[in-house]
Amino acid sequence: MNILELRNVTKRFPESQVPAVDDFSLDVEHGEIVALLGESGCGKTTILRMIAGFEVPSGGIIRINGEAVSGSGIFIEPQNRKVGIVFQDYALFPHKTVWENITFGLYRLSKPDATNKANDIIVLSGLQGLEQRYPHQLSGGQKQRVALARAMAPEPKLILFDEPFSNIDSMRKHQMREDIRDIIKKTGATAIFVTHDTRDVMTIADKVSVIRQGKLMQTDIPEKIYTYPANSYVADFFGKTNYIKAKISPEGYETPMGVIRTKTSLPASLKDVVLSIRPEEFTIKDESMGCFCGSIVKERFLGEYKELTCKVENSSGPDTEIVIYASPAVKCDGEKCYFKPNEGKINVLNDE
Amino acid sequence: MNLKIILPILSLQTHRQLTNPWIWGTLFAAFIIALPLLVVFSNILIPGDETWRHILKNLIPTYVLNTILLMSGVAVITFIIGVSTAWLVSMHRFPGYRFFSWALILPIALPAYISGFTWAGILDYTSPVYVFFRNHLGIDTGQYLFFNILSLPGAIIILSLAFYPYVFLISRAYFSRQSSALFEVASSLGRKKSQIFFKVALPMARPAIVAGISLALMEVLNDYGLARYFGVDTFTTGIFTAWFSFSHPQSALKLSAYLMVFVLMLIIIERVQRGKMRYDMLGSAYRPVNPTKLSRTGSILAIIICLIPFMLGFVIPLLMLLYWSSLTYSYVLDYRFTELLFNSFLLAGIASLVVTLFALFIAFTVKSFPSRFVKFLSRIATLGYALPGAVVAIGILIPFLWIDSHFAFLSQPGMRIAITGTWFALIFAYLVRFMAVGYNSIDSGMEKISPSLDEASRSLGMSNMKTLGKIHIPLLSGSMVSAALLVFIDVLKELPLTLILRPFNFDTLAIRAFEFASDERVAEAAPASIIIIITGMIPVFLLNRLMGRKG
Repeated sequence: MNILELRNVTKRFPESQVPAVDDFSLDVEHGEIVALLGESGCGKTTILRMIAGFEVPSGGIIRINGEAVSGSGIFIEPQNRKVGIVFQDYALFPHKTVWENITFGLYRLSKPDATNKANDIIVLSGLQGLEQRYPHQLSGGQKQRVALARAMAPEPKLILFDEPFSNIDSMRKHQMREDIRDIIKKTGATAIFVTHDTRDVMTIADKVSVIRQGKLMQTDIPEKIYTYPANSYVADFFGKTNYIKAKISPEGYETPMGVIRTKTSLPASLKDVVLSIRPEEFTIKDESMGCFCGSIVKERFLGEYKELTCKVENSSGPDTEIVIYASPAVKCDGEKCYFKPNEGKINVLNDE
Repeated sequence: MNLKIILPILSLQTHRQLTNPWIWGTLFAAFIIALPLLVVFSNILIPGDETWRHILKNLIPTYVLNTILLMSGVAVITFIIGVSTAWLVSMHRFPGYRFFSWALILPIALPAYISGFTWAGILDYTSPVYVFFRNHLGIDTGQYLFFNILSLPGAIIILSLAFYPYVFLISRAYFSRQSSALFEVASSLGRKKSQIFFKVALPMARPAIVAGISLALMEVLNDYGLARYFGVDTFTTGIFTAWFSFSHPQSALKLSAYLMVFVLMLIIIERVQRGKMRYDMLGSAYRPVNPTKLSRTGSILAIIICLIPFMLGFVIPLLMLLYWSSLTYSYVLDYRFTELLFNSFLLAGIASLVVTLFALFIAFTVKSFPSRFVKFLSRIATLGYALPGAVVAIGILIPFLWIDSHFAFLSQPGMRIAITGTWFALIFAYLVRFMAVGYNSIDSGMEKISPSLDEASRSLGMSNMKTLGKIHIPLLSGSMVSAALLVFIDVLKELPLTLILRPFNFDTLAIRAFEFASDERVAEAAPASIIIIITGMIPVFLLNRLMGRKG
């Protein structure tokens, strides 16, 4: 069953003409970690706050565990939603110790139960020995783990994270992501987090929704979104790509540099489309058989890979430039380069 | 078409606002606080009768003239004293600058009316000071020492000495926050120090200085005790005359409305001049100004400039009051004085508690349910500080008298039910008048609490009420204590409002001191005055400690 459902959720702020969130829908299954990805101001935090109950949606329905918490005249207050939240600034209560922070949400339990539960979560989050410290005596990473432990202690159905890694220096970020994913997965919790960093998404999300100006662009697993972005905005968000104009014909994609043949035949529409092929989805070959031939315009060594820019000449139109990430070991034949896109990694964009 | 989209959006939001007890509570608080103001202004349209026409013709011109003269005089002198001393202590180093940077605030603890009758006593023909001048130095200047302080110029000087700390405090804060880059640029462009002050620092600090002066002028409009004692007829004294001498409530109301016009003008002028100038001083390259070390002569001059307002506004009157107290305490401090002390402290204590609780409630509502409407309500609720005490008193007294007369049937022989002339009326009036004092203190503390703390608490299952109790109140304890303390002191020294609304035969320290002084028994007024002043010094010391911690 879906633990969270958002149906056509919209949010308008009185001071703005454009809706902050526009007709947004999302399903989250039990145990999933879902990322809401977008630039700052795209409405992703507003979505999070509507799920938590800190903003009232202007339209649409939000269901948690199948129960409507907002929409059609219903509004459940945040304190009654059983949704945990970890804030960007951690929001640890400065006048309470780590222990008091973690037990804050356990007031409905009997004292021994609360103590047991708090102890469990402290062990799980690796916070042993810090129970009597105050927030100002903790490092950034420790604060974050306390914030997570506090949110998880009452065993919420859903945990929300607002930009969880933006306050962590890049050296520790990687470890932090792993730790958090481990803790969430160990407890079998469901989590939603908001981020603008695709690396966060790649490391910890099971599913990602890309949002632009309040609108949902695409929801899918990270690998798919990376290779098969729905449109150029999503494609760009996840890194460099090659845009190639094409017409779809029975043999494949007719592009200015020639026809990219596909094994499966395509329904011919002769419609103009734009293809997106990631730079690493090309194979460099030694011979010209079935390959495109380009002249190397630029070659840059970037550590794990080499970035080649190849120009494919076209007699009847503008030349095409293709960026290819190749293994540093690849030797090119002088200034010429033979390459072909990997089968199945060619993506047709749905740009309007 | 637009409407169609917006209506369903508003409904849920509006519904939540309409069923929210916090917003209703704030609305209620804003309404009762606005009540006196509404009463005062609703009277404007009613044509006046014979008495009012008499007042209008014979007294108003004097009131207007005196009020304008007082305000202009105080504006000029507080500007000169406040800005010059603030500039000296914040931008220069000379022996004692640290002492003066808080000592110059101390006159704020000395209410103007106390300072007024003390100075009148000092310069009186029979005062020990004059006696000393006459007998030991052979100086006899006739009826008065130097000049008759019981006059309009005298009132201007005393009021300025009492209220310049407002200008000093705000300008000092402004000067010390300025970035040195501005001054360095000005001097690199070949400007001398004096030119930098007049061409850069002063124009930039203008909004702050004007804000300080308008605070001082609001205090001038609020003053009753000094004007009455010095025989300067102003609107405030006029309200008392209409109420107590003519027994003519309508005229008191109309005078209050006139007085409010001055207040509104002040507020508008202050807002307009501030609205136009928005300077962002704290850029990314902010560096505090390096203070200039003064030379020997410069230092002596600076010390003299700082010493004058400090001595005249605080030390000399305080010493005089201490001297008088030593003469009179043995018979002034009797059991009645204990009762007086108890009354005053209990009243101030209850008022400060009530104000703090209301302020906490409103500040929390503004934080938890921010909307334009709620913010507007909080503005209304804090409007009372701009209202002179006499206006608040009249605005409350009139509806209360009406209620009492209409519900007289509830009273039985031997037991009159009335709210006029009770502690309830008095505390209600303090709530109206001093709400802003408590609110500003709590609100500034509230601002430092990250909104995500509230949200974290609520996501952990706590209601708003529990969040307030478990998160805000512990974190705001400092702000709440300072709010309560500031209100306590304001109530303790409050005069006009208490005089009008007090229960029959009920005295406070302030009233007793004022009455003794009015009866030419200045020396007997001293012990009560000393208690008011010492209590009033507490926040100055606290402020100083706070500044010390920051620095």
